[in-house]
Amino acid sequence: MTLVFDDVSKHYPDGTAALNGVSLTIPKGQFCVILGPSGAGKSTLLRCVNGLVQPCRGRVLIDKVAVDASSLKTIRPTVGMIHQGFNLVSRSSVAANVISGALPKVGAMRALSGVFPQTYRRKACELVRDVGLSELHLKRRVSELSGGQQQRVGIARAFMLDPAVILADEPVASLDPQTSADILALLAREANTRGSTVLCSLHQIDLALKFADRIVAMRAGAIAFDGAPRELTAEVLERIYGAPNVTRLAGRARP
Amino acid sequence: MSLSVVELRASAQWHFPRPYGWKTALAVMVVFAILIFTGHRVEMDRAAVLTGQAIGIAAGAGGESQVAKGFTAVVGKLFPLQLDERTDIDRIAGFDPRDLPPLAHVETEQTSTRTLNPETLKLDMVVSHKQVLVQPFGYVIRVAEKMFETWEIALWGTFLAIIAGLPLALLGARNLTPAPWIRFASRTLVSLLRAMPELITALFLVLAYGFGPIAGVLALAVHSAGFLGKFYAEDIENADPKPQEALTAIGVSRFKMFRFAILPQVMPQYIAYTFYILDRNVRMATVIGLVGAGGIGQELKGRYDMYNYGHVGTILVAIFLLVVILDQLSSRLRSTRL
Repeated sequence: MTLVFDDVSKHYPDGTAALNGVSLTIPKGQFCVILGPSGAGKSTLLRCVNGLVQPCRGRVLIDKVAVDASSLKTIRPTVGMIHQGFNLVSRSSVAANVISGALPKVGAMRALSGVFPQTYRRKACELVRDVGLSELHLKRRVSELSGGQQQRVGIARAFMLDPAVILADEPVASLDPQTSADILALLAREANTRGSTVLCSLHQIDLALKFADRIVAMRAGAIAFDGAPRELTAEVLERIYGAPNVTRLAGRARP
Repeated sequence: MSLSVVELRASAQWHFPRPYGWKTALAVMVVFAILIFTGHRVEMDRAAVLTGQAIGIAAGAGGESQVAKGFTAVVGKLFPLQLDERTDIDRIAGFDPRDLPPLAHVETEQTSTRTLNPETLKLDMVVSHKQVLVQPFGYVIRVAEKMFETWEIALWGTFLAIIAGLPLALLGARNLTPAPWIRFASRTLVSLLRAMPELITALFLVLAYGFGPIAGVLALAVHSAGFLGKFYAEDIENADPKPQEALTAIGVSRFKMFRFAILPQVMPQYIAYTFYILDRNVRMATVIGLVGAGGIGQELKGRYDMYNYGHVGTILVAIFLLVVILDQLSSRLRSTRL
């Protein structure tokens, strides 16, 4: 599914301008990483796609369908989301968290009983295996898992309905570098097998370079750079983040 | 003054912020003033004096104390507890001395009464004998049955309170009901229910439903629904919003979101509240029996009015035991993995 941002602006009531006329077209199946300092508008950009934020001006189109109040009900189940804080129910089991990703397609009475149709139960098991967890994890509470394992659960939940678009809002912000790389590799692989378009905000430049098909960098609510990973030079990074930074440049130097 | 100028001062000269200021002092003074004013009005000063005297006597200091006398009298009357059931044989229809209930035996009771002799106009002592059937622990069994009935009233009062309180909580929680007027209506109803004291509600319900447990159950349900409706709603609003956002993002309806993102979070608290209400309802069920709404309270009132303080003592001990046992059970249940 092609994702189009058409001159999107968002001003919050407190006066901050999170987005200033952003226009962007992301073709189907692309892994697009959004870089930029905190407060640059990355989260707001992502949240405009599934209507968690309503733009003040402009619109977002998913396969030529505008995201608005009337289309939201049909659009949201096709857009998976992976969150910085995992956003799982920590007291619930892995199984319950993963299968809750199928809730939009399940009737209210079925949801109340907590017994999902066989197809979704099978799908949940398949996904838990695909993200690298075992059958033994199904009954475990999420609070008993490590951060990396929790984000694996988050990814499994996001893919329950085979979404056409995946929004990942700093999915590895609280994880160590090795786990971060594993999680992003997993996300890229799962998205690739389904042809899902990924919009992923990140703070780790080395990971962006490694996994992105395309990097969009934002600064103060506007796009400051848009191109292939190899085009992201030290000068560009200095322009985005303000000051030259040794660790970021070290990231750039990686193969 | 710019920040950099301040930073130039050596940290040894900095003022560490004081934890308490004049606002705290003022608040403490206001609280004290309120307590002193109201304390005098509710005779807390006199209570302190009277209690002090009683403690002085108990410690062997001597003197007079109305409170100590009162306590001694009450405790003296409650004990020994009434354990057996004594029934006048004349009042048992078709009594067969060869077919007694298990453990029961027949005793002859001698009672002497002073009566005015109409001929001599003097007080004579008349001694009369009567046969009574004595069932050891007969009264304990009767109290146990009544206690069980009391618990049943409390259980159903609590159950109906959950059935009514949970929907009201869902309609009164900001994150589940965006329409402000529905929320307002629900919250107002919940406050109204909570404001209705069981004893008064029971009094009216006894008029409508007659004497017996129905009035008791409904009276407890009305008040507890108000309590649960408020506390369930508060927990829904205080639940971690992150999982809720995750489900909202993929288009899950609010009801399903409650079931999967909120209910698992609030479950331990809900169980705690519900057990607290059950515990409270058991105690309240004993009280509302006083107005005829069934249970041990009806028995308690009857015995109290007949000056059978031994029976009253047995009932009070039974209530105490039931509350302790339920408390133990609920804390056991709460500590298990839920």
